[in-house]
Amino acid sequence: LHRNLLTPNSYEDERVESDDPEEMFQNIQHQKEIIANIRTRPWPMRRKLKVLKQAREIVLKYEGRLTRTRGYQTAGADLLKKLSRLLYNIVVLFIPWEVRIKKIESHFGSGVASYFIFLRWLFGINIVLTILTGAFIVLPELLAGAPFGTTRSKTIPKEHMASAQDLDTIWSLGGYLQYSVLFYGYYGSVRKIGTAGYRLPLAYFLVGMAVFAYSFIILLRKMAKNSRLSLASASDENFTFCWRVFCAWDYLIGNPEAAESKGAAIVNNIREAICEEQEKKKETSLAVLISLRILANILVLLSLAGSIYIIYFVVDRSQKLEQEKPELTLWEKNEVSVVVSLITMIAPSAFELVAQLEMYHPRTSLRFQLARFLVLYLGNLYSLIIALLDKVNIMSSAVIATILDTANTTRSSMTPMALSNLTTVFEKNKQDQCWETYVGQEMLKLSIIDMIFTVASILLIDFIRGLVVRYLSDCCCWDLESKFPEYGEFKIAENVLHLIYNQGMIWMGAFFSPCLPAFNVMKLIGLMYLRSWAVLTCNVPHQQVFRASRSNNFYLAMLLFMLFLCMLPTIFAIVRYRPSQHCGPFSGQEKIYDIISDTVETDFPLWFGKVMSYVTSPIVVLPAVLLLFMLIYYLQAIARSLKFTNNQLRMQLQTERTEDKKKVFQLAAGTLLLSADQTTEQQESDVTSHEASIQTPSPRRNGNVTNFQSPVRRGNSIRTISQSASRSELNHSGVPGTSRSPSVSSATTLKMLLFHTQNQIESIVVYSPSPRYSDPSEPVYRKTIHTLHPVERIITAQGCVGRRGHTTRYVIVNEHEPRKHLLRSATRIPRHYLMEEPAEIVELYPRNIKRYTARAIHHQPHLHREEEEEEQGPSSRRRMPLGKSLRPKSLSDLHQPAHFYIGERAESHCSMAKGPYEAHEEEEEEGEMDWGELDQCQPQAKARGAEQVLVRTRRYVPSAGRHSASPSRGRHVEAHVKPKVKQKLETPLTESDSASVASSSDQQNSSVDQYIQVIHNKDRYLKADTRHGKLAKKKSKTSCDPNVTEVNDLVCSNV
Amino acid sequence: MGTTASQLGKDLLSEYQELTFLTKQEILLAHKRFSELLTKDEKDVPNVRVPMERILTLPELKSNPFRKRICLVFSTSEHKDGSLTFEDFLDLLSAFSDSATMEIKSHYAFRIFDFDDDGTLDCDDLQQLVNCLTGETEDTRLTQDEMRQLISNILEESDIDKDGTVNLSEFQHVISRSPDFISSFKIVL
Repeated sequence: LHRNLLTPNSYEDERVESDDPEEMFQNIQHQKEIIANIRTRPWPMRRKLKVLKQAREIVLKYEGRLTRTRGYQTAGADLLKKLSRLLYNIVVLFIPWEVRIKKIESHFGSGVASYFIFLRWLFGINIVLTILTGAFIVLPELLAGAPFGTTRSKTIPKEHMASAQDLDTIWSLGGYLQYSVLFYGYYGSVRKIGTAGYRLPLAYFLVGMAVFAYSFIILLRKMAKNSRLSLASASDENFTFCWRVFCAWDYLIGNPEAAESKGAAIVNNIREAICEEQEKKKETSLAVLISLRILANILVLLSLAGSIYIIYFVVDRSQKLEQEKPELTLWEKNEVSVVVSLITMIAPSAFELVAQLEMYHPRTSLRFQLARFLVLYLGNLYSLIIALLDKVNIMSSAVIATILDTANTTRSSMTPMALSNLTTVFEKNKQDQCWETYVGQEMLKLSIIDMIFTVASILLIDFIRGLVVRYLSDCCCWDLESKFPEYGEFKIAENVLHLIYNQGMIWMGAFFSPCLPAFNVMKLIGLMYLRSWAVLTCNVPHQQVFRASRSNNFYLAMLLFMLFLCMLPTIFAIVRYRPSQHCGPFSGQEKIYDIISDTVETDFPLWFGKVMSYVTSPIVVLPAVLLLFMLIYYLQAIARSLKFTNNQLRMQLQTERTEDKKKVFQLAAGTLLLSADQTTEQQESDVTSHEASIQTPSPRRNGNVTNFQSPVRRGNSIRTISQSASRSELNHSGVPGTSRSPSVSSATTLKMLLFHTQNQIESIVVYSPSPRYSDPSEPVYRKTIHTLHPVERIITAQGCVGRRGHTTRYVIVNEHEPRKHLLRSATRIPRHYLMEEPAEIVELYPRNIKRYTARAIHHQPHLHREEEEEEQGPSSRRRMPLGKSLRPKSLSDLHQPAHFYIGERAESHCSMAKGPYEAHEEEEEEGEMDWGELDQCQPQAKARGAEQVLVRTRRYVPSAGRHSASPSRGRHVEAHVKPKVKQKLETPLTESDSASVASSSDQQNSSVDQYIQVIHNKDRYLKADTRHGKLAKKKSKTSCDPNVTEVNDLVCSNV
Repeated sequence: MGTTASQLGKDLLSEYQELTFLTKQEILLAHKRFSELLTKDEKDVPNVRVPMERILTLPELKSNPFRKRICLVFSTSEHKDGSLTFEDFLDLLSAFSDSATMEIKSHYAFRIFDFDDDGTLDCDDLQQLVNCLTGETEDTRLTQDEMRQLISNILEESDIDKDGTVNLSEFQHVISRSPDFISSFKIVL
């Protein structure tokens, strides 16, 4: 939880004078917290500056008095903070393309920028992959491996030597490139190389696997982070309309053209939603539509099948050509990759045309498009790799055939001539058969050709078209800009998919060509610059875009899918095929993965091999797999049950809301009836009543409102009754404007507290992390706050959980700390929250029950108005049910009937006193002073542990005593009104107070009931209120720390 | 860069960093951009207020349909004229910055949308909000029926306490679940 409730105290804290170093330290810590969190407050800068300055002054002032070590500590912390800030500033500088992306973002919005952010992220991954392969494979091989030309696998065969430097050979990655670190075949199979004995083959295998492992981990982590960021996917709540309106505008858009298209998109979007709502189904020539769609799908399938066939055919043809012709032309060498790239370029446009046939909703059609593209890309890659592997198969079988053939011939005719002839053939085959290199070559070739095509398409389709449209639109008979050629749209989804496809190629080929990631890094850099340039110069943003963050996980999911599918062929090749016998790090082995068992056998101690054999035996593996399955099932079950409870909670919330509303109306009626004879009742009844004539009657006192206590009420219903206390006189007359600031700020704090509470409840219901809350209304309504009496804004938020049939009651303060609370009646006493516009909240209490009252002011202006209305008469009041009903936090609480109370302190105090209110107002000034001290004491108490807290809380007993309408009440009131505020921790009064409270309630309560109270010992009512508010606020703060809260906030007195 | 830094003062700069979500570079850039808005004789005046009209010439705000509201919300001016001091300007940028929290952003978004400054989004506010988004021209503007439908739908979704208005916590509830809000509620200089 954010400690956003703290700041306003800074004013009061200034006045704290204490010699207790502990206290002082707490105070300083407190101030530091203020300083640390100040930026999260929605205040104007001036105010923040002021508060910051004050807090700093205090820190400076008191810090000197503390021990030296503390001073050093804090100084160190300061330094650390400064350093981290500096570091952050520097880091920001070094994020690549930050400025560029920001620029694009500010022109085209977050959608387009998301493509570049995704690109940058991929770039980061590729950098790591490059480092992995570079540092562990390429560099060792270059440094310590056998140099070029020393072994057969590292020499260019004689018949190729002549053409090895030709451009077209190099271009098709033959010749020198083929026999270089670029490809698998070059790497030596010596177990240890160099003086240090680097195990290159092992490293090769491990790095090959690490590439996949790293990609998986980084992807999954990113996805998890994303899904944590956006709770939307988790909750099935539907805010279609709200989002379309509230979150529609992309504030980053600074380009008028982009703004225009965005505006149009928003209008469409809203219209669309409205239309969908109005007529869920449109029945326009369904038969035609369906047949069209079927046709479209057939077309798409046909083109998919066609593309796959073409690729297969091309690979097959290239293989045949290779066998038949000794020299291949440039086209023949690159045929495969060119065809594949062409297909990936052309097919999407074809799909788009087809999609227009279908007449889907744009959103759906985009999804279809994306799915089709993905299938196409995957199909391309797969058919390519399958064709390649097929070729590999044929190659190896051909080699075996040759060998057999050779053997036969050698046996039959032992002519030396034939023998030499055969050896050459044999040797030729040996070198040619390096299928890993061949696959690597093809992948790299594909990647290069793909890059060329991308560049060409950007230049031709986007740039030239943009030029034509811009400069020829004047001399053309139709408007080029808005009609046919238009500007190229930046199709985010398609482009992202292309990136994914590209990355898939890398993953697929990385094992066979260790330099592929490095190449991809360069390719991505180029792409970044080219694309961003193209976007800024000649593109307009796509109208139907996947919005940034929502798409992020979608993209990532596709990437993950791609990774998985691209890993499969590699793994398959590794497992299924025998490595080439005369090239590559695994030559001579039966299977590539034999390197592991080999290493385990020879390089590790014997026991390790044994352990490994045990671990890999079915005895261990099977149970492990089973366990995994069980775990998965278990987690799934938990997720399902959570979802279920979520739904239930929501349902409950809704039903209770409606019930609440009914109650509120009844209550309003009750108030009307009762307002007449309130004055007399107030004096007679023991129940805490509210000042003036405009109160909500407490149910006990007035039988009229019995429905509040009706046992029929559902247990965990939460009620708020807001009482619009007419405190207008107090508000207006009391405090001189200058002295107000502290109380104002505290008032807001408490207001926030209630807000905060609501928010928490809300978040509890939906199982999201409770949103941090910030001071909601301060800046806007500053002015109005001034007109109000500050002290009354203090809120004490307390909850109470009553359990039916049990005598033990729980009071929950701030919904976090369970509190036992004495309730007199065995029946659950429903409390109602009623929120008026100003959201004053008051609770109705039965007599003899402690009241914890709270007021929440949502918006002062309204409050103000309301109060004036109240002055005229309670009947004019409007009541609204509180926005969120309070809920027990944990599921386990659910079975208990729970009540949450929010009571209003100020009112009760006033009512208790029965004195003229004007008096309180006068005392207010002093009250503010006290308040600070109290505030300061609080953390200290926290630090000192539960015992201290207990005592501390007891200090507040008097006010509670006043609440409890026991005969002893008067006495207490006397006692507490008089004494000056002594801020010693243990006041003699406290014990007696709590005792008296207990006894008073005892009279009417079953003896098993337990109390937990948080009580003031402040004398002045108003002040007490404030303090109480503070206390509650503190609590809400401490509630972040579950460990502390229990001890901190519970005061238990068994009765 | 060096001159702007000295103009701003080191202490102040670090304080601004403390108080906003901006980095040093961003603050300096903001200062530069803000200074560009000042006229010659205003340059030496401390705490000078730049009137809303001039603020709105910034390209980052120019095409924003809520530009006036943004100025009004962030202005600390007594006259409610939407004029901004540099500090107000920083506040604005901070709230719209990358690293600002969801709370801050949603809080200010709420206030931007709260056209009558009464602390709740009622029907009128929503209507104005939608009109801002759609523009006032005849063909883009929603019809009365559409508007009614839209607003009732919005309230149905977000108005948890059914009081006919959307208050801040309801608003934040809705907003915090939106996947797009955080990434789009940004203004970058």
